[in-house]
Amino acid sequence: MEELLRVEGLESGYGEMQVLWGVSLKVQRGSLVVILGPNGAGKTTTLRSIMGIIRPWRGSITFDGEDVTKLPPHKKVPRGLVLVPEGRHLFPDLTVEENLLMGAYTRVGKEDLSDTLELVYSLFPRLKERRSQKAGTMSGGEQQMLAIGRALMAKPKLLMLDEPSQGLAPKIVGDILETLVRLREEQGLTILLVEQNIAQSLKIADYAYVLEQGRVVLEGTSSELLEKEDLVKAYLGI
Amino acid sequence: MPGVDPWVLREALRRSAPTLVFYLVLLALYLAMPQYSQFIAMILFYAILGQAFNIFMGMTGYVDFGYVAFLASGAYAFSLAAIALSEAGVTGWIFIPVGLAFAAIVAATLASIVGAIALRLRGAYFAIATIGVNEGLRYFVEGANLLGGSIGLYIVKNLKALVGKEGYQLAATLLADLLMFLLAAVTVLVTGIILSSRLGYALQAIREDEDAARALGINVTKYKVTAFIISGMLGGMLGALNWALKGGVVEPAHVFMIHYTVEAIVIVMLGGAGTLLGPVFGAMTYIGLNYVSNVYIAPILESMGIKATGLHLIILAPILLAIIIAAPNGIVGLLKERIKNPRIRSFIT
Repeated sequence: MEELLRVEGLESGYGEMQVLWGVSLKVQRGSLVVILGPNGAGKTTTLRSIMGIIRPWRGSITFDGEDVTKLPPHKKVPRGLVLVPEGRHLFPDLTVEENLLMGAYTRVGKEDLSDTLELVYSLFPRLKERRSQKAGTMSGGEQQMLAIGRALMAKPKLLMLDEPSQGLAPKIVGDILETLVRLREEQGLTILLVEQNIAQSLKIADYAYVLEQGRVVLEGTSSELLEKEDLVKAYLGI
Repeated sequence: MPGVDPWVLREALRRSAPTLVFYLVLLALYLAMPQYSQFIAMILFYAILGQAFNIFMGMTGYVDFGYVAFLASGAYAFSLAAIALSEAGVTGWIFIPVGLAFAAIVAATLASIVGAIALRLRGAYFAIATIGVNEGLRYFVEGANLLGGSIGLYIVKNLKALVGKEGYQLAATLLADLLMFLLAAVTVLVTGIILSSRLGYALQAIREDEDAARALGINVTKYKVTAFIISGMLGGMLGALNWALKGGVVEPAHVFMIHYTVEAIVIVMLGGAGTLLGPVFGAMTYIGLNYVSNVYIAPILESMGIKATGLHLIILAPILLAIIIAAPNGIVGLLKERIKNPRIRSFIT
């Protein structure tokens, strides 16, 4: 398998405060990788730095064979690097379909827009049922599906998700994670997931990184980490 | 580029049409009732102020407390152009297009400098930074004794030298007002084009959720600065027409008055942020209420023995508050909610 994303020695933070102290990780094309870690470990900062929402201080980010370290988000999305931000960030007053179409903002021309829309609707039939409902009036799980659907509208090569299970009922979390497995298997999508939910996310991931205080303290295939579950739990403080 | 797509142009015209009709009615009233012409011209000034301010604040949600600095810079630029042309011995009406172009350029330059720096800030920080720009410019002009210092620029004699005494009479009255109507139409069309184009959709996405817009791949800085410059340019031309050409005087204590920015905010919020009809409705309501409270209600209170300067403002404020509470999305927002008939609804833009 070939590498789609390679992050090396990434250092980043906010203002004077350094959060990441040299994070390195790799995502193979077609794989599902999860980043675990306690609150404040730098999981969200890692995704935001990869996306360019905050500027990396040091280190490099290579995506699809190209150095994208310094590119702003609006240049990364057209290259296929797409983030579903923490807390979903939908447009609550827009309808489901309008939210989805906003996801295709960077796609110039309308060639196969309707195909992508149909694909999203086939993945999430609930969104099709509610296509003209305002996004803000839907349940948390439906909103998360919409956030993922909206990201898919940009035709990502790598889909990054920041805690999609946040604030959702356990059963819905299962549904969301199940969808990610389907996206990967049916669409060949590569996924980088940030989660707090260890057991469920290790079940679906191929490879996992454990972050603590801005550093990778543990990594391995999911089965390796599941064997060391005690160690993982110790790091996560649970 | 927006405006190239014929669909965008058609859609822009469709959206602009109701507001343009309103301005035509206002123009007809202006011409038909000379005794009210200056009252109508005042409404017109505030409508354009709201309309131009709306392009940035209404569409992005950012509040520029220093907006009046664009009007001021335009007024100064127009005056400087008029002075330079008259001193160079040029005569004739050419000073108007030259002055307006210079006003637009200077305001746009100021907007790009301020925007490139201040638009990196969000929310209240942006608002505070822009107040600083406005006050800073004013005290710089006064303190450094630039451009006439605290006295300002008096250009009446220059205007008379350019187009003669009678020409000036015409320029400062009918011509200035007609040009304001023209500027109103241009501002509406520009707003319509922006709302119908990718730029408008991007700005609304930024207003709703800037982080989401960024994650979707929208170049938020570029679009914010673009809207800021367009809004500032139109403000610059408004200041040039209303203060320099019509008033003949540009005083720093007046043209940098933060009062105008606050009024622009009130008008946009009252009428409906991000809409086309909003600023017109907002301006009419604001000026109308101001007039009624000043001319009718304040004297009643005074006859009851309550006397105070600015009494009408104490009456005006709770009325404005009540309207904002009853119609948080402005008058246009309220109409959109209430009117269900899709044909009529399509005219409320």
